[in-house]
Amino acid sequence: MDGFKKRLSESVQLRLSVALSLAILLVALVASVFAFVSAFEETHEQQDDTLRQVAMLYDRQHMTLQYPQGPALKGDDEETRVIIQHLSDSPPATGTTDEALPLPFPASIADGLSTVAVAGENFRVLVHTTARGERIAVAQESDARDKDARESAWRSLLPFLILFPVLLLVVGDLVRKLFRPIGVLAAEIDQRAEQELHPIEEQHLPSEVRPFVVAINRLLARVGQSMDSQRRFVADAAHELRSPMTALALQADRLAATELSPVSRERFEPLSRGIQRGRTLIDQLLSLAAAQSASERVQTTLSVHTVYRQILEDLLPLAERKQIDIGVESTQDVQVTFNQLDLFTLVKNLVDNAIRYTPPGGRIDLSVALTADGAQLQIKDSGPGITLEEQARVFDPFYRSLGTDEAGSGLGLSIVKAIADRTGARVQLAFTDALAQQGLCVTVWLAK
Amino acid sequence: MRILLVEDDPMIGDAIQRALSDASYAADWVKNGLTALAAVDTHPYDMVLLDLGLPGKDGLDVLDTIRARNNPVPLLIITARDSLDDRLRGLDGGADDYLLKPFDIPELLARIRAVLRRKGGSAQSLLGNGVVTLNLLTKQASVQDQSEIALSSREFALLQALLIRPGAILSRSELEDRLYGWGNEVESNAIEFLIHALRRKLGTHVIKNVRGMGWMVSKSV
Repeated sequence: MDGFKKRLSESVQLRLSVALSLAILLVALVASVFAFVSAFEETHEQQDDTLRQVAMLYDRQHMTLQYPQGPALKGDDEETRVIIQHLSDSPPATGTTDEALPLPFPASIADGLSTVAVAGENFRVLVHTTARGERIAVAQESDARDKDARESAWRSLLPFLILFPVLLLVVGDLVRKLFRPIGVLAAEIDQRAEQELHPIEEQHLPSEVRPFVVAINRLLARVGQSMDSQRRFVADAAHELRSPMTALALQADRLAATELSPVSRERFEPLSRGIQRGRTLIDQLLSLAAAQSASERVQTTLSVHTVYRQILEDLLPLAERKQIDIGVESTQDVQVTFNQLDLFTLVKNLVDNAIRYTPPGGRIDLSVALTADGAQLQIKDSGPGITLEEQARVFDPFYRSLGTDEAGSGLGLSIVKAIADRTGARVQLAFTDALAQQGLCVTVWLAK
Repeated sequence: MRILLVEDDPMIGDAIQRALSDASYAADWVKNGLTALAAVDTHPYDMVLLDLGLPGKDGLDVLDTIRARNNPVPLLIITARDSLDDRLRGLDGGADDYLLKPFDIPELLARIRAVLRRKGGSAQSLLGNGVVTLNLLTKQASVQDQSEIALSSREFALLQALLIRPGAILSRSELEDRLYGWGNEVESNAIEFLIHALRRKLGTHVIKNVRGMGWMVSKSV
């Protein structure tokens, strides 16, 4: 009961349903009492009218009275019959039965309607003085009259008995239907990815909910703006860093072209590597900012093998330097519908990672296969792999596996994740050799 | 060779100018678009290196103005703007190439050479990637300046196909398309056979096999 009270105070829908149901119940009760009473009285009045009509009929047609003898006629019900007799014919009030006529009415009854107890039963009696001066009594048993009146009154309640549950059902359904847009709205917002900050559709919402949604839309717009400006800041910062980095790289190139003493040459090498690393980091930051931006991208039909080829052409020098045997395993090409730059960036970062973390002399296999609902791309390497504990964390920006001396930017997998999140691609990390827990095997599922 | 460098960043400008002098080019350095236009009008340059983010007049406007005056000077854009839109506007606007910052000096010099070569329209008689050089006239190849080695016409055609774009991977069917005309029956291992022959003549490292993809010669160094 406490739970119900709590729900009642929290749920507008429940409150509305309960209040409406109670109101209907109350109205139905009052109306049915009224209907019952009025139908009851109405019937009585009709019955009184009948008595009056019989009296008038007798008077008008100057009928004479003859009391029935012997057995009752067929169809004559002693309970409901209408009796007519001269009041003066009433025997002394000693009879204990109302079977035989005339009945013992007291002679003192005044003209008009009255209820009289005769022989242990109540009778409704109309006493009338005819034009000939006779006083006649027209009577009917009260029990029978009441029974008829009650039946009629109950019948008048029937519409309410039908209407009440129907109304309850209609109200319940109506309230539920009226509140459904809110549920649908909540489900729609719940299903959104973190990038989807577009305004909520407010056209078909009830006007009571609309201000609320408009306010949420304004909030969404502000959140979107602040996220945008943050992303733009990263992109702008990386962009601005390009110029000084270019200057640095150019000066270093010039230095490298001059005669250097062996000591200087030896010290120059780390400097040059540092500059190279800075350049990579800036490029990756820009790439991440681009991958995260929610702008529309053109989808085209792409051959996965063509993308693999472009990436191998780009990265082969890197692989050759480490004498890594890199190649494509699948013989059958697969076509996917995707943004070209997205797919290129996604696969390139995965292959770049594989080359980085595979020891010299290792092996990297790229493959693609057609699945029921799209394409499955796989990049397997013979490196150390990523432990299960680390697999979730490696997608965080700037996260680097322990015990690696690779000078990566730490952004490669974040870029992959950003693209996957935005496009609905699925990325899974596993071991190439599950038994020995060796080698990283990245599988990417692209929807058709 | 006289080159005009339009670059507003003092450190980058200085480094490029010195690098160009090191490579025996005569380089004039201006720092804004208006001076650049004045310089282009007064001197016949062999090449313009144009930064896009310039004070006063934007690089793309400078490019438009130069081309509007029907000046065909070879022009290479060097910029930090990497959006596809900027790139297309630059190339459609009449730039000969588009080099993205940050870049290396050797890459800049290679691009300058490539643009000059294209613009010069000289029928190139030598193809090479720094490892192997192919003489298109004599159809002979040489590896690292060793003596020239004669090639069969099929071997020559295959090596030429690979050397047109060093670093590009060509699949078996692409090579077959370039070597054999339509209707020619190609034996299934014809390409492998030619590659094997070329490797025997020039050394195994000259042509590289990329597993599952095809063959390539290394990118120019």
